[in-house]
Amino acid sequence: MSAVIRSITLLVLLTGLPVAVSAQELSGADLAEQCQAVCQDRDAPWRTVPWKTDLLDAQKLAVEQHKPIFVWAMDGHPLGCT
Amino acid sequence: MLDRESTFADPEILALLKERFVPVAIDQWYTRRQQDATGDFWRKIAGQGPRNDFQNTTQGLYIAGADGQLIAFNNNRGPERIRKLLHDAADNYKHPDNTQPIEHGAADAKYAAVLPEGAVVVRVSARVEGGYAETDDQWEKLFQSAVSRDNLWITAEEQKSLAAGKMPEDLELRIARFHLVDNTRGEPPTWSVDEVRETAFQIDGNKLNGTAKLETKNGKRGYGAKLRGEFGFDDNGKLNRFDMIAEGKFWGTGQHTMEPPVGKFPLVIAFTLADGTDIGDGVPPHASRGWIDGYLQPHR
Repeated sequence: MSAVIRSITLLVLLTGLPVAVSAQELSGADLAEQCQAVCQDRDAPWRTVPWKTDLLDAQKLAVEQHKPIFVWAMDGHPLGCT
Repeated sequence: MLDRESTFADPEILALLKERFVPVAIDQWYTRRQQDATGDFWRKIAGQGPRNDFQNTTQGLYIAGADGQLIAFNNNRGPERIRKLLHDAADNYKHPDNTQPIEHGAADAKYAAVLPEGAVVVRVSARVEGGYAETDDQWEKLFQSAVSRDNLWITAEEQKSLAAGKMPEDLELRIARFHLVDNTRGEPPTWSVDEVRETAFQIDGNKLNGTAKLETKNGKRGYGAKLRGEFGFDDNGKLNRFDMIAEGKFWGTGQHTMEPPVGKFPLVIAFTLADGTDIGDGVPPHASRGWIDGYLQPHR
């Protein structure tokens, strides 16, 4: 939580008064924090898998490493859509 | 989305994928249509499974040999079955002799969406902030808490316009038509030009404020949003910061976004400049599928 939001929260808690703060009054850092708070969790487990996004790159690696290919095929990109 | 939070959150499945497979993630909408080496290889794999009509979806989880021989297919939800599938496939895999890497060759230009020179990628995430009925069902809970992901592309010319204090018309309409959508439960319907009832984006220095009203002709789906953002540029005039939030009430659904909250519900959409470190940063915008010009010039 940013210093601005902490200060506002403290003021509300101490005085019990409603404090109206427009979005425009928040600093740029606050807006960035709000955006990050909505974004997907960057530490989510599925992100730890070394996904390829090119099928033939995966095929080449499968040849080199003698491993089978696992394909996660979706309507919309599994890593970047929906 | 559910796969990300269930199957691909399972520690045993993740370990198997990392150690014993070459994992690849694709949007098969592109791949099954591509008339090139990538499309040929995909149709070889998927053609051996139950979804072998390439006019329709080939969505699913597939395991194949390096030669394209299908080993297993599954399109069911839940990690238990996938765990067994992976164990069986890895334990019994015999690498095909004399298999060579397949050359890419020329890509099918219609489906090769390439980020225009000088353009930047902005990550777009949406979340429903309330309105769902309470549930004890684990799958419903995952749906209700889902965060979506898409990418917005902003061209070099549009960055110049922003730097000059003018909101580019194409960018304003692109954001409205293709990114002010509820894609938290699946592929969303985008808005037609006529469904964009009103947009008013204003630039003031490095700040952006705006409103958007979107509604279908029959009124069954809509979104009224307020937007506020900030942006900045590096010495070369390229965006090095773009943060924007859209907040408002959404209503209605699409063919693949069923079971939204009843009535109007709060939907927040966040936009943040990508830095290339996220695995999804290179994925083309969903609305650019097969029609990159229409995405970049949304009046068309």
